[in-house]
Amino acid sequence: MHLFLKFLCETVHGGRGGYPQFFSLPRCHLPFRRSLQTTTTETKHCLLILVGLLLGGIIFGAEEKSPPVMNSDVFFLYLLPPIVLDAGYFMPTRLFFENFGTIFWYAVVGTLWNAIGIGISLFGICQISAFGLTDITLLQNLLFGSLISAVDPVAVLAVFENIHVNEQLYILVFGESLLNDAITVVLYNLFKSFCQMRTIQVIDIFAGIANFFIVGIGGVLIGILLGFVAAFTTRFTHKIRVIEPLFVFLYSYLSYITAEMFHLSGIMAITACAMTMNKYVEENVSQKSYTTIKYFMKMLSSVSETLIFIFMGVSTVGKNHEWNWAFVSFTLLFCLIWRALGVFVLTQIINVFRTIPLTFKDQFIIAYGGLRGAICFSLVFLLPPSVFPRKKLFITAVIVVIFFTVFIQGITIRPLVEFLDVKRSNKKQPAVSEEIYNRFFDHVKTGIEDVCGHWGHNFWRDKFKKFDNKYLRRLLIRENQPKSSIVSLYKKLEIKHAIEMAESGMISKVPSSVSLSEYHEGKIKPLSPTEMENMREILTKNLYQIRHRTMSYNRHSLAADANEKQAKEILIRRRHSFRESLRKTNSLSRERPAAANTKRFLSLPKNTKLPEKLRVRNKTSSRVGDSSDSEMDATTTVLNLRPRAGKILREQRLRQQRPPSEFSMEWKNEVDGSQNGRGEQQEPGSLPQPSIGFRQPLLTRPRFGTLSREDLTADHGLARPVPPPRLVRQASQGERQRSKPENQPY
Amino acid sequence: MGSRASTLLRDEEIEEIKKETGFSHSQITRLYSRFTSLDKGENGTLSREDFQRIPELAINPLGDRIINAFFPEGEDQVNFRGFMRTLAHFRPIEDNEKSKDQNGPEPLNSRSNKLHFAFRLYDLDKDDKISRDELLQVLRMMVGVNISDEQLGSIADRTIQEADQDGDCAISFAEFVKVLEKVDVEQKMSIRFLH
Repeated sequence: MHLFLKFLCETVHGGRGGYPQFFSLPRCHLPFRRSLQTTTTETKHCLLILVGLLLGGIIFGAEEKSPPVMNSDVFFLYLLPPIVLDAGYFMPTRLFFENFGTIFWYAVVGTLWNAIGIGISLFGICQISAFGLTDITLLQNLLFGSLISAVDPVAVLAVFENIHVNEQLYILVFGESLLNDAITVVLYNLFKSFCQMRTIQVIDIFAGIANFFIVGIGGVLIGILLGFVAAFTTRFTHKIRVIEPLFVFLYSYLSYITAEMFHLSGIMAITACAMTMNKYVEENVSQKSYTTIKYFMKMLSSVSETLIFIFMGVSTVGKNHEWNWAFVSFTLLFCLIWRALGVFVLTQIINVFRTIPLTFKDQFIIAYGGLRGAICFSLVFLLPPSVFPRKKLFITAVIVVIFFTVFIQGITIRPLVEFLDVKRSNKKQPAVSEEIYNRFFDHVKTGIEDVCGHWGHNFWRDKFKKFDNKYLRRLLIRENQPKSSIVSLYKKLEIKHAIEMAESGMISKVPSSVSLSEYHEGKIKPLSPTEMENMREILTKNLYQIRHRTMSYNRHSLAADANEKQAKEILIRRRHSFRESLRKTNSLSRERPAAANTKRFLSLPKNTKLPEKLRVRNKTSSRVGDSSDSEMDATTTVLNLRPRAGKILREQRLRQQRPPSEFSMEWKNEVDGSQNGRGEQQEPGSLPQPSIGFRQPLLTRPRFGTLSREDLTADHGLARPVPPPRLVRQASQGERQRSKPENQPY
Repeated sequence: MGSRASTLLRDEEIEEIKKETGFSHSQITRLYSRFTSLDKGENGTLSREDFQRIPELAINPLGDRIINAFFPEGEDQVNFRGFMRTLAHFRPIEDNEKSKDQNGPEPLNSRSNKLHFAFRLYDLDKDDKISRDELLQVLRMMVGVNISDEQLGSIADRTIQEADQDGDCAISFAEFVKVLEKVDVEQKMSIRFLH
């Protein structure tokens, strides 16, 4: 890394020797990293800039020259692509496309509004001769306006993580940042070329507008094309897993460079490429490659961002400034005003078309969160000084705006949002139980939202999905490898549990009935405040989080881990509850192996008495013999199964456990003859029906097909377990069975 | 999708559901298409497996309870009316409803009915009380594995103590309502249904 920096310094300063200070640069921000993890992102940006300032000061003091400034080529070719790639790869595509209209509206119209507004008002200010700015032409002002309106809402996203923000808002801000970068660059190039032309005709303006569309759409097409090529390539890489991550990075960078080569928008290209790749490549590459890709991408983008901020700090110090109170302060003022106005006006218009309108709080967050960042910084350095004699003035203004937004707005946004959130009710000492109730309601609400399929169906998306399934997936995805992280997680648990239970018998995390029924009669003594605090703390730490539909984007971490851990625990618990109920209620049908072969799913622990029970009850003797053998095979078979089974496997496994538990409860009652006096002869007749439906199709399907959530619905050519209508439901399933004290002989 | 849904759902039915639950026409059709997409057997009713097929419910700690809440006592199939009836509890309370006729039956999405729905999620044996056991079960479902049984027990005790007024060491519905009087139940138990 220090070689790179040396090269950088040399190119800028025409071959002077190395700056010894820079050797410390890569090492110095590493210790910062560790302490920075504990601070929020906004303060991190501030610290980075301060570090840069410090360095710049050192260099300036030592060398009496302006420190090396970031070369624009370096920025656009090396530092920017990783950031955009990271953003595009982790973009939640479904949410993005659902809100695409609004995002597009804000990004395009909003940026145009900002750019032109700021440009024209600054031009107005420049006309006032008292400020000494009259030599700045309208075009130059417009250009300046376009580059200063490049909003970089990354810092706002960091704030979003802690506030449970409306997901719509999150995707709006996120999507706007991506599209808006591209538009800014297009506008910038447009105005720059206008500045360099001597006369401008109307046709040129139209050409400019047309150019915008060509550039944008062309970039997207290149990105998509290369994304497909990447997906296709990874279809054949299963023998060379180690270099799979390379393809992802290679192709995305290729798309960027190709687009730039044709003077199209590289940013749109790399974003489109990343989004396309994300869908298909994920399914082709191995789990380890996938993890590598994710982490490496985060690493690259973190490093790039850090470097950019440090350079900003470094470049601030030095002689390339020209201070003009009027220009700088009015720039800042206009940025704020136009952003707020723009957001407000645009929201009023777009709310008419939206199903879920944006509230005032949302608008405030969008407007106040319009922080400027590295893009406008680099763009201003790109200005050719021949055309822009007052370039230094622009640089100063941009730096002031960036500093203001990053430092002041970045730090104050969170308190302001919290202030807006304050409810009217006064906050007394909250009860311990309140946390529980609140979380309870949230879980219920989320659950019902999931049942409703809250986001609904969309004609175009369904059409695309059909096309996708029919052609694209067949072409681009290697067979047999559908995967989802939860599924693979579950799979790992399965194996672990199989081994555990094989070794040590039933391990149950369900609270035993004994402890549940332990109850001290009499008064519960009031707890001291410290105990209450402890309780509250325990609760806050341990209550499960609500599933967020989209994982909030964080450039510096992958948020999946916490959710996975939670999902893992919940799934373990459910499996345990199934097994408990099965074990206690003597499930019968589940033990029937498929007639075809002995391969089985891990269903029950080895040390159960079920095989005997089966022999006793089972009328179809041919199957009985298999059951005990297949118990042995259960563990090994599970281990033999591919590491990533389809989600369908998962769901069906869950599914096939539940109804049998219901059935078994029925049959237990029936066998006891207690509840409804049905004879035993009804059992065998009803038994085979569901079990065959369960077992066979699952085992003989070699390819599980692709599994998005919607596809789950399409894949059921399997016999569904229809509960035999004769059986009457005695009890509702699940926990009730578990909690009743078990006195049965099973 | 839309056309198929509306041919299967007759207008009179939509009107009835509208009256009973208060959903709008478009909301009902939209939810109907969701219903049919969940209904794999295409027999007009949903069974528990259909609900379990929703992956997000599998990782919801209260998933089983929520699914149970859809099914009326003792049945394992729920038709569209029942589905809508349950979902109606989550309709947001609109201001103009508050002043509607006080003589008619209480709308399904009133605060009291919402609370009743939540109460039923706790109270499995339907004795109109949340006993310590039931509370413990729900707590255990909602909480990670790092909490020991004793800690959980004391939290449950504390919860009951805070709510219990008649000293029976269980939470009745009235006590439940009282504890939650400061909680904005209308907002927490309402979903913005898309129009």
